[in-house]
Order: sequence, then structure tokens, then C-alpha cells
Amino acid sequence: METVKSISSEDLLLSRQAQQFQKVMSFLGKSFLLLVTSLSSVAVLFIFYFITKDALPFFLQEGVVEFFTSTNWYPSAEEPNFGCLSIFAGSGLVTLGAILVAVPLGISAAVCLSDVLPFEVRQIVKPATEILAVIPSVAYGFFALVVFAPALQNNGSFLLTVAAWIIGVPVLLLGIIVASDLAADKFSEKYSRYIRFSLIGVLAVIAVWIMLRVHQFLIALSITSGTNALNVSIILGIMAIPTIISVSEDALQACGRELREGSYALGATRAETIFKTVIPASISGILAAVVLGVMRAVGETMVVWMASGNAAQIPQPWYNFLEPVRTLTATIAGDMGEADHVTGSARYHVLFAMALCLLIFSFGANLFSEWIVHRQQKKLGMVK
Amino acid sequence: MKLSTRKLLDKSFTGYGIFAIVLMAAALLIIILPIFIKGMQAFVFKGTVEYRRLRLEKFNDGDSKSLERELDISKKLRQPIYDKIARFEEELREMDYEKRREYRKKLRELKKELKKLLGPFPDEPSPVLWRDQYGQTRWDRAQVVLKRVLYTETWDYSDPDKMGVKKYVPRMEQFEGTSLSSLFDYLQSNIKSIFRPRLTFYWRFLFDKSHDAHFFGGIWPEVLGTLYLTLGAMFFAIPMGVIAAIYLTEYAKREVLISLLRSCISTLAGVPSIVFGLFGLAFFINTINVSESKSVLAGSLTLALLILPTVIRASEEAIRSVPHTYKEAALSLGAGKWHTVLTVILPAALPGILTGIVISMGRAAGETAPIIFTAAVSVGQPLKMWETFSQPTPALPWNIYNLCTEHEAVDEIRHVQYGMVLTLVALVLFLNLMAIFLRARISKKLKG
Repeated sequence: METVKSISSEDLLLSRQAQQFQKVMSFLGKSFLLLVTSLSSVAVLFIFYFITKDALPFFLQEGVVEFFTSTNWYPSAEEPNFGCLSIFAGSGLVTLGAILVAVPLGISAAVCLSDVLPFEVRQIVKPATEILAVIPSVAYGFFALVVFAPALQNNGSFLLTVAAWIIGVPVLLLGIIVASDLAADKFSEKYSRYIRFSLIGVLAVIAVWIMLRVHQFLIALSITSGTNALNVSIILGIMAIPTIISVSEDALQACGRELREGSYALGATRAETIFKTVIPASISGILAAVVLGVMRAVGETMVVWMASGNAAQIPQPWYNFLEPVRTLTATIAGDMGEADHVTGSARYHVLFAMALCLLIFSFGANLFSEWIVHRQQKKLGMVK
Repeated sequence: MKLSTRKLLDKSFTGYGIFAIVLMAAALLIIILPIFIKGMQAFVFKGTVEYRRLRLEKFNDGDSKSLERELDISKKLRQPIYDKIARFEEELREMDYEKRREYRKKLRELKKELKKLLGPFPDEPSPVLWRDQYGQTRWDRAQVVLKRVLYTETWDYSDPDKMGVKKYVPRMEQFEGTSLSSLFDYLQSNIKSIFRPRLTFYWRFLFDKSHDAHFFGGIWPEVLGTLYLTLGAMFFAIPMGVIAAIYLTEYAKREVLISLLRSCISTLAGVPSIVFGLFGLAFFINTINVSESKSVLAGSLTLALLILPTVIRASEEAIRSVPHTYKEAALSLGAGKWHTVLTVILPAALPGILTGIVISMGRAAGETAPIIFTAAVSVGQPLKMWETFSQPTPALPWNIYNLCTEHEAVDEIRHVQYGMVLTLVALVLFLNLMAIFLRARISKKLKG
């Protein structure tokens, strides 16, 4: 029989030199990896530094007060005015509109995806939302400018009226039935039927009157320009929906089966389970989703540049969505072309001042959303 | 609350959720469908005889003999129009001064519209611009222009409470009682045989240069520019992103460092795209001077920063999803850590990393705001590879914006705009479908 040569421990060890070489190499390799990784953090610092560097001359030269409080935006006048209040208001208005469109739709779609729809349907709907998310913003802008704006200008009041009927009728119908049911419950069984029917009748008359008034108001609206805050709000809302759906669906999924099953076991319906158990448990995740949606709407450039009308004014009254507005991002994109040649002038630096405001806002919103997500994970016991 | 009420609320809640999803799907269709249908018209359309003449004369493409025959027929049918105008001009000489002046003005207008429809008059010298040398090359445009020949637009302000209403008045009324009045009927009934529209498939739209400010030709410079920018961005973003992901998942140990790096990455992901554009201008071009002014290189670097967070996150997730047993097996066989990462973990995570890369490619291809100040110009030639270091380029997203807002004749080149949007959307959707396909393969593989 052959004898196997016994292996001593020294054979397995590397020589001292090789060991040292390996140590140095691994240290070098690690440092290289860290260096490359930290490039992304350096990029963030650089972005802050370079935007601030070019924004500061503006604040030093023109002061802060006019920038934030005046509505006079005449950057190319002989004695230029750089009041950005109306531009801030424009950004705020379209963001508000986008949120009004995206939050109710996005969250209910997320709930529907996570709790209501069967698995097979979900497999189809999820890619569809992803497609909405990946369409380039310039394609949305093109649609808003070339298809949606003319439609809004020519048939805007008709479209709004149809939308009002589609939303109004089911909501009012449901409201009438539920309100009369609730009221009838308070009385003894003998009268409750009569009270219920008479209440339904009275409320129905009121509802019809309301709908007719709304109809009259909307059908008489004249929309002077299709490129206005409403157009942009709707498109931005559609763009923000996928973000809101995916983040809040994650949050809804994360709160687990046990909570839901507990609620069902107590006899709650699905809607009650969702409203009273699931949503309160995942509220911070949903909030984070809304914050991310806001960030998407505030930072979006092409759609607002192409379809918001670019008029530096605060609409009268402030909630008048049918007037054109001008936003921070669109101003930066649009004015840089003219300001480019005169690097060093206030006209150039004011755009960096706006970018700094955007940057600070998105940084704050990001920190906020991270903080709430972290808090939720703590609450649900996912992090020690 | 009564049980029936609760049930009703429950049902209506479900209905509302489904309504939201249906609305979303409808929005998707309403946005995608016009882009697809009208975008296809850049590739497939009814080309007129003028289109075939242009292809032959400018691109030497087509059969000259059959075209000659077609042109002969078309010319014969056009001749009566020119004859009528000549006769009318003779008639004019006999009128009194006031009337003559009025008719002259109207005739000038009519001639202008006719030139747009049919091309220059036979006795005219050839104009400089291509769009003036030929009549309408597309049948759909020809019909629009024909309507402008036959009718004049006026605005009706009779109701002071409302906005003006557009009204079309037949142009024939202007020339009532003169020899020109028969021209309009003749034109209307013969327009089809003059133009001889035929279904044309112009697949070269993607690969032709544009001519005469996008009135003719294709979109190759834009497509090529987008490809350069996207590939350039990936060239910088992939190594950085994958290395960062390896470090974060396999090497980093200190909690503080990791969470700091993570915060930075998510901050980077949240920076608005227009701010990236300004940063690219202020840093890459004005500070470290990667190029004299705008260039593909500067644009690629800016886009790379923009998609870096996406690449890092996707790669991280892919590396994390590699089963622990793989790594343990490799280590137990005596492989070093670096060796394990390179030969075991990365190959196993590759499909996941690829998915992330493909998705961020789609994002980089579609972004406009970062390249406005760093890379994009409105008009330009297709670049050679080495010119990308110093030259700006046209790119699909920027030129879509430019053509539909700043072009001199926005309405006349709608088909080009739609064609560009379709190309961009199709490119992005194709990349994402690829990602979905890759993901499906991975999940199949993981299931065994």
C-alpha cells in the first residue's frame, strides 16, 4: 500500500513574505474599493459646493429679501428685478395639483394591488405601472403640449364637466345612502324605515342641486390657454403615481399577515381592516411615498417647461389652476440659454440660487422620508 | 352601523380601488396610443409624386423611367391651373386701378398657397430651400395645404362675451365672376391624380440625416447622439456602481460608514435632474474643462452621476440575493475573499446586475434636463467616435423639445416629432422589456 505523506501544518501556511504581500494587497484593494465607493458621496458634496459657489455671488450682490418676497421677475430689464416669489408659487401650485391627482389614485391603487386583486391580475398591473414610470419625461411633455393642451383649450370645460359627473355621482350616491342609514339607526325600528326613505329623498334633491350648480359652473368656464397649471398638474400626477404605488405597496406588504388576519377574525370587513388596521400600521411608509412623489413633481423639468405656459405670475385667486404659471426648474432650463454668454452676471447666478433652493428642498425631503421609513422599521421590529 | 351599510362601504371601496387602476391603465393607453399611431406615420405614409421626385433627385433612389411617366401625367394636369392664372392676370390689366389692386393682393395670397401645395411655378427659377423646391411630399400634409388653398380662415368676433370662433370661407368667393373661379373646383377634383399618393415605407427614417431643418430626411444624428450619450454614461457608471455595490455588501463593516454612504447615495438619487445639468456645466465644463464647451463627454459624465444610485442599488440587491451557501462553499474550498467575489458571487449576481444596468440605460437615454447645458445642440451632423470628446451632439430628448417648441414650422413637421418620440419611447420600452425578461429568467433559475 502506498503511504500518504502526512501534511504538516507548515505546508498549509504561506511564507512570511507572501503573507505580508497578501496583507498589503488586500489593504490596497480595500482602499481602492472604498475610494471608488466614496466617489458617490464626494459627488454629493461637489454638487452642493459648486451650486452654492455659483449661487452665493447672487445673494451677496442682490440680497436675499427681493429674491424671496418680490413677484417682479424681470431678469433682462435694464435694471433687472429678480423677485422669485411667483416662481416659487408656481412650483408649489403644480406640485399641489400633482399631489391632489396622484395621492388618492396612487394609494388606493397600491391598496388594491396589495390587498384586493388576485395574484394573476397583479402580475399584469405591476408592469403597467412600471411602464408609466419609465416613459421619458420629454415624451410626457410632448403629450402635454401637443395632445393634451389643445384638447383642454378646445373642449376643456366639457372634459371637466364629464370628470365632475363621473366623480360626483358615485360619491354623492354613496354619501346619501350611508348618511341616511346612519341617521335611521338612531331611531327605533318602527320609524327607521320611513325616516330612511324621507332622508334619502331630501338628500337626493340637495345632491342633484349641487351637481347641477357644479355643472353650470364648469360648462361656462372658458379656458384661454391649454398650457396651464391644470394640464401640468395632471401630467405630473400621472408621472408621480408609479413612485407612490411602488413605495406605499412595499409599506403595505411589510405590515404582515398577522395584523390583517387578526382584524378579519374580529369580524371587520376588508375596507375596515385596511382603513383601521393596515393603513395606520403602515402610515409612515405611505407618508414616505407621498414625499417621494412630491420630490418627483418638484424636480421635474421638461413637462413644466413645455406645458405650463411659463408666465411668471401668481394666479388670481391663488388656486386658479387654469392660469399659466412658471416653475423653478423651467426657469433654470429656459433662462440658462440666454444667460450662458454672460457668465458672472446676476442673471447667471440667480439660476444657481434657484437650483440651490431645489437642492436644499430635495435634501430635506430625502432626510425626512428616510427618517420616517426608519421609524416604521423600528416600530415593526425590523431593526433592533 | 348596520351590516348592510358596512358591506356597501366595503364594496364601494373595492370599486374605488379598481376604478383607480382602470384610470391608470386608461392614462397609459391615452398617452401611448397617439405616440404609437402618429409616430408610425413617420415610417409608413402615403407619399406623393413630389416625394418620389425628391428621392430621385436628391438621393438617387427610385426608378427614373416610371417617375418620368408619372411626372408627365401630373404636369399635364397641373397645366390648366397655371393657364387659368395666366388668363386671370391678363384680365386684371383691363380692370380699373382700385379693383386691380385688390385682386392683385388676393392673387398673391393664392399663389403663395399654391406654391406651397404644388411647388414652384414652371417659369420660376429654382428656389434655394428644399421645402420650396418641391410641392407637398406627404398626402396627409397635401390635404391640409389644399384646404388652405380652397378656404380662407377668418375669426368671428360677433359675440363679444366669447372668444373668437374660427370660420372657413371658400376662397372661391373672392374671385367670384372672374375666370379664376373655376380653378378651385378643378383643383379639388383633380388633386388626387395630380399627386398620385402611394403607400410608402420609409424605414430609412432612422438612418438618414435630416435635410432642410428636419423638413425632409431622418433622425440619424439624434439617434446616434442618444446612443453615444447612453453608452458613455454606462461606461462611467457601471464600473463605479458595481464596485461600490461590492464594497457595500462584502467589505464595509463599520455601521456608521455604511449608513453615511447610503445617505449620500439616496441624496444623490433625490437631486432634481436639472440640478445635475447645472452641476455638469459648473463642474465638468467651467471648472475642470473636460471640453471647451458642451460635449458628449461632459454629458455622459453628468448622466453617469445621475444613474449611479440606480446602478448601485440594483447591483447591491443582486449581490445580496446570491445564496450564502455559494460564498461559504467557495471559502471552504480555500478561495480568498477577492477570488470568491470575482469568480463566484459576481457571476451568480450578473443577471440581476444586468437588469439594473438595462433599466438605468433606459433612464439615461430619456433624460433631457442634464444634457441641455452639457451636451445637446439643436442642429448637427452625426459624430465620429473620436469627436465625442470635444463636440456636442443632437440627441433625441432634446430635439423633441426643440422641434415642438422652437422650430420655425412646428405644425408642418409633426410627423418628424412623433417619429422621434416613438423612437425614444420604443428604445426605452425595449430596454425595460429586456429587464423584465432577464428578471423572469432569474426568478425561474432561483426556483430551480
